[in-house]
Amino acid sequence: MTTDALAGLKVLDLSWVVAGPLIGRTLADFGATVVRVESSVRVETARLMQPFHGGVQDKEGSALFGNCNAGKLGLTLDLKSEEGQQVVRDLVAWADVVVESFSPGQLRKWGLDYETLRAGKPDLVMLSTSIAGQHGPWSTLAGFGNVGSSLSGFQHLVGYEDRLPMGTFGPYTDYVGPRLALVTLLAALENRRRTGEGAYIDVSQVEAGIYFLSPQVAQFGYDGTIAERQGNRDQQYAPHGVFGCRQVDGKDRFVAVVARDTAEWRALARAMSRPDLADRADLATVEGRRAAQDEIESAVAAWTSGLAATEVERVLQSAGVPAHLAVTSDDYPADSQLGHRGHLVELPHPRHGTTWVEGPRYALSETPGRPRGAAPTLGQHNEMVLTEILGYDAERVAVLTEGGILR
Amino acid sequence: MLEHLRVLDLTDERGLLCGRLLADLGADVVQVEPAGGSTARQAPPVAEGAAPSSMYWEAFAAGKRGAAFDLDDPQEVARLRLLADAADIVVTSWPRPRLEALGLDPATLRADRPGLVYTVVSAFGWDGPKAPYADTDLVVWAAGGPLAPHRDGDLPPLRISVPQAFLHAAADAAAGTMIAVLARGATGRGQVVDVSAQEAVGVATLARVLATAVGDDHPEWQTTPGKRTGGRTDQSGSGAATPNSLKKWHCRDGMVELHLSMGPAAGTFTNNLFAWLRDEGAVEEPVASWDWRVVPDRLVSGELGHDDLDVARAAVRAFLLTRTKAEVLDAAIRRRLLCMAIFDMADIAASPHLEERGFWGHVDVGSTDVKLPGRMAQVRGPEGPRVRGRAPLVGEHTDVVLREWLR
Repeated sequence: MTTDALAGLKVLDLSWVVAGPLIGRTLADFGATVVRVESSVRVETARLMQPFHGGVQDKEGSALFGNCNAGKLGLTLDLKSEEGQQVVRDLVAWADVVVESFSPGQLRKWGLDYETLRAGKPDLVMLSTSIAGQHGPWSTLAGFGNVGSSLSGFQHLVGYEDRLPMGTFGPYTDYVGPRLALVTLLAALENRRRTGEGAYIDVSQVEAGIYFLSPQVAQFGYDGTIAERQGNRDQQYAPHGVFGCRQVDGKDRFVAVVARDTAEWRALARAMSRPDLADRADLATVEGRRAAQDEIESAVAAWTSGLAATEVERVLQSAGVPAHLAVTSDDYPADSQLGHRGHLVELPHPRHGTTWVEGPRYALSETPGRPRGAAPTLGQHNEMVLTEILGYDAERVAVLTEGGILR
Repeated sequence: MLEHLRVLDLTDERGLLCGRLLADLGADVVQVEPAGGSTARQAPPVAEGAAPSSMYWEAFAAGKRGAAFDLDDPQEVARLRLLADAADIVVTSWPRPRLEALGLDPATLRADRPGLVYTVVSAFGWDGPKAPYADTDLVVWAAGGPLAPHRDGDLPPLRISVPQAFLHAAADAAAGTMIAVLARGATGRGQVVDVSAQEAVGVATLARVLATAVGDDHPEWQTTPGKRTGGRTDQSGSGAATPNSLKKWHCRDGMVELHLSMGPAAGTFTNNLFAWLRDEGAVEEPVASWDWRVVPDRLVSGELGHDDLDVARAAVRAFLLTRTKAEVLDAAIRRRLLCMAIFDMADIAASPHLEERGFWGHVDVGSTDVKLPGRMAQVRGPEGPRVRGRAPLVGEHTDVVLREWLR
């Protein structure tokens, strides 16, 4: 019989947008009970972000929000009110873990900071995630994860050599921060399991982003080299690029192609029916191929342009050459490997009939994770959280409702 | 926090980071290499020095101990298997056929050790139609979704500059491992954690991979902010939907990232920016007094035109040319702007904020003292994560590890 890995773990999620909510999403996948508090008046940003169900902008229709919050219980609360803050205190008393992403200092103003909350609960594990951390000169920096991309070095580094820095797709440190946060949080839970000790964890998205550029940071420290953008080229392999293929239904299609060594290069050249290139002595080393990179890339592009990207992938992979179609959202649901692993998960949704979210990125053989339900609609679980989890009676719930606290 | 855990690390460059994270958290991580050294020792960037040195290796093998074995010698492989028997966790990113040939695959090692947590990092997963695919970081980036939507004009989609896909997967592997460790704490049973890098990077698309599944056929609109497309306007302020040329601005000593976000969620930040321009006499009415929270509505109603937006942009452009990166960063903090200096590795290394937060660790690379990102998060309570030391030499700790672990 399998049980859930995190069964019994209780989590209060006071975070919003992407970086914070993704942490609780994983905890919920593996069996934790996660109560997410938000405001229906100051609607959280992710609810306003594409993609939307049916392409219609609606605060209950964002697939991004759905992906970050699947399986959580939703409570709407006026956190500015005394009464709302009391509900939060009661939820903290219930919870093992609190995750929050307010501007640093905000929770202290409400008397909901770690020092205050741990006084009555020394084993509390609390995690704050922010752009630049809870202390230090940048800690009052406002903004989203794309600010993090700029300060962590990614904006400078992503792009073609001869063009403006392109930066990352979306707020890149929002994808990095929650991963490092989660590892640290789970380690703190393991420590708590063994010692009963709580912890406070301060995650900075900027620092998480820089952590993922550790090799480039080290290189600067070692010999002063400042890493620069290089388009799709690579310091190790050549050729290494993304090439246009035959359009499908009027849409651009692309394929990524890499040769990791000379054998793969020759296999690629032969697949392209270019034995002349395969046999050329000057291209038998990576240095030689790098010197001829423009010529090689033109030859690969000329070959791929007449083929379907899937066909290039098939031909090259059967020859042992790394290649893959640049997958779009149209391709994603039909990808055979993702399908094999059941990565896309269909869930019932009160507004849309069904919705889709990504599954966990790691398959655990004994305690597999899975999203337990769609992300909550605004206030969907107010009644349940207040009565079943906090044990409030009907009168107290009515007072909160009539006082406009549950919004 | 993880001092009680022994990790046998059978990774190459694909999974190298996983063990680094566990080592940062206190685990005893033993990095195993073939007698000739790990392929990760060639992973870029490689700094030329007295001995060429992979900064990728130096950064992500840091804090581990090193053991080397001749994998062609059955007796050496048998000794390695004894280490696996003494480990709490085995993590690998070696190819499946090689693991099976060596008898180091999950099924073999777990047959007599049901308590073992065995984590596999691979491009596509342990099995499935694409599991045997030839892979590189770029191929995974293409297969998992983040490559295709990241376009600079009509050029082919753009990679994330330096290898990142397997860092996401390796960080996920550390989290998946910790979930399995927590489950083991409750049940005594270990399990297999099967991490797919293709799945790991889906989240780096800001849910674009879900667009078609939820019926949004137009999620990648790259258009003028505020312009109606498909019946909606981008009010996110995230920047993902804004053309690059509208987000990058020259300042006196470099570039800054800024976009004129509008709408109820993020318009306030642009109001703050124009308050700065107003104070410096750098913008005229009526643009100076626009309320950017309602600009989308005014654009849709026709009350404002895109010529008006150009006037606003021109004022910002002229003003920023008179300011330095440091001044922009300072104003962003004081005035709460979504406007950010684009940092390179030199800027990052010189940051007073990161210094004050004790972000850096120091390791020796050869005889050079090198600064590395040292803290993935800051922890109060138990000892938090930090880089524990330099990367090991080939086989540096083979004998001492065999003595300690097989005692």
